[in-house]
Amino acid sequence: MLIKLQKKTLVKIQLIGYILTLFIGVFIVLTTLQLYQDVKPLLSEQTDVFSDKSAVISKEVSVFKSVNKDRIYFSSKEIEELKEQPFIKDVSVFNNADFRIKAYSNQSENIPLFQTDLFFESIPDAYIDVKTEDWIWNENDEVVPIIIPENYLKLYNFGFAESQGLPVLSKNTISQITFNLKVIGNFNSEVYKSRIVGFSNKINSILVPETFLEYANNKFGRSKKSRISRLLVTFNNPTDERILQFFNENNYSINKDKLEFSKLSFFFNSALVFVIAVALIILVLSIAFILLSFNLIIQKNKAMISNLGAIGYSYKSISKFYQIVISLATVIAIVPAIILGIVVRKIYLERLESLFEFSESNSFILILGVAILLVLCLSYSFIILRKMKAIVLPKS
Amino acid sequence: MSEAELSASDIYLQKEVVFEKGKKYLIKANSGHGKSSVLNFIYGSSHNYTGEVVYSKKEDSVFSLRQTEISYVFQDFKLFPSLTLFENIQLKNKLTHHKSTEQIDALINKMQLTHRRDSLVETLSLGQRQRVAIIRALCQPFNFLLLDEPFSHLDSSNIKIIVDVLNKELEERQASVIITALDDLPFFEFDKTINL
Repeated sequence: MLIKLQKKTLVKIQLIGYILTLFIGVFIVLTTLQLYQDVKPLLSEQTDVFSDKSAVISKEVSVFKSVNKDRIYFSSKEIEELKEQPFIKDVSVFNNADFRIKAYSNQSENIPLFQTDLFFESIPDAYIDVKTEDWIWNENDEVVPIIIPENYLKLYNFGFAESQGLPVLSKNTISQITFNLKVIGNFNSEVYKSRIVGFSNKINSILVPETFLEYANNKFGRSKKSRISRLLVTFNNPTDERILQFFNENNYSINKDKLEFSKLSFFFNSALVFVIAVALIILVLSIAFILLSFNLIIQKNKAMISNLGAIGYSYKSISKFYQIVISLATVIAIVPAIILGIVVRKIYLERLESLFEFSESNSFILILGVAILLVLCLSYSFIILRKMKAIVLPKS
Repeated sequence: MSEAELSASDIYLQKEVVFEKGKKYLIKANSGHGKSSVLNFIYGSSHNYTGEVVYSKKEDSVFSLRQTEISYVFQDFKLFPSLTLFENIQLKNKLTHHKSTEQIDALINKMQLTHRRDSLVETLSLGQRQRVAIIRALCQPFNFLLLDEPFSHLDSSNIKIIVDVLNKELEERQASVIITALDDLPFFEFDKTINL
């Protein structure tokens, strides 16, 4: 009889609206959170391809700067500022050679005769990704080891050698070639032997050991001032979105490849955050909606509720019907949302597994879904009970 | 009620007023003097007073008090208009399981309401509603029955029927009754008349 009486007070369309919106909100929240969790290792695994978390940065060269070269150098203040950025772990400078260098070969069977102008730079040894015991130079050593970009070799083999009718060289053969280096500057010149000991993908420059560059700069340098045009920075996390933002704001140019991924993960994260935010809004609105709806029902039937209390029904037994209805509606919304979430996850996992090497992580859809369900049901029950008590047992 | 609104009476501003089990009390006063308030204080539905209402039997909650100790026929009946006459009574009886359907039907019959048994309460007249409220109040165990101006909408023949039913029920339960009225009620023999 009590149920018959209370059933008449419900507004079915509001309950259906609540179930639908809650279903959509919970489904999207669960699925996107799970998707984020599932894809996260894929994103961080991918960053491991950039074995090192470092990149070379320089200033953008523009028309004005090519006239006034001072602007392409980093001031010590700017370097300090870089070091203070939270996403930057370390900053190292490139040392430039402040003298002229000519490389040339002796006439021999193995190598073509060549002569070229070169430039040298050096970076701290820790960053050299071609580890070799040859990477040492002492003052009396005749042979200076150098590292060239791997691209240079490709350029020679597939471009230059082809057009000039020269032989192609493998990394191995090129490493065995010794050629001459003539260092000129400060009214002084000296000839060294040199050998390519490694190739680098990471640093687009011709590198020599720091010790050699310091020595040669001292001896042949035209000015004593060292100017820094390129920096080597190490990131805490190369996918950090702030990196891109910071470099763009300061007009620094960075090896873009490295940050393509950062861009990608930025868009992915932003899209996901946006979707989750919208879903959370839907969720919150559906909860606010049903609370408002029940508030209206209770207010509209205040007389009935207080009369039930007057003939001996406790506020607990009056609340029970509404607690069951609202909990049931919540179950009807959330259980299918959990099931659909699990099904959707299965589908996207299958796709991911067919595209990438992918190890499945744990699913928390069920646990999180049930947690939301319990929290909602318990809070609704508590709120309804409190409201009923206020009507049935007024304070005054 | 504040003291300024009150004048000393047989209940208000007294040190102690005792209602004993098995006796019949009449609370008499003009309207606006707080007859209903006294009943509400006893029933625990209003706490708007200073002083204390003490029951000889301790109950866990006001609800068990209302289910087993005190029954109340409200002045405004507190019926549920969207339910039928019978359903209104059942609503109470389902809570207490005090009377069988036959007993309830017998009471409805006695009160001459059988023809309206399944009509919605919103279609009943005030006098009919008053009788429904009285039947409903009888559908529970009680030691005290509170009636707030119970005969205000009834003719004398109906009053007589109700008085008979009430007397019988009170005797069975050895219960007490507290009736409020504007004037003396000649149909009832009261043990005590209290003037407010």
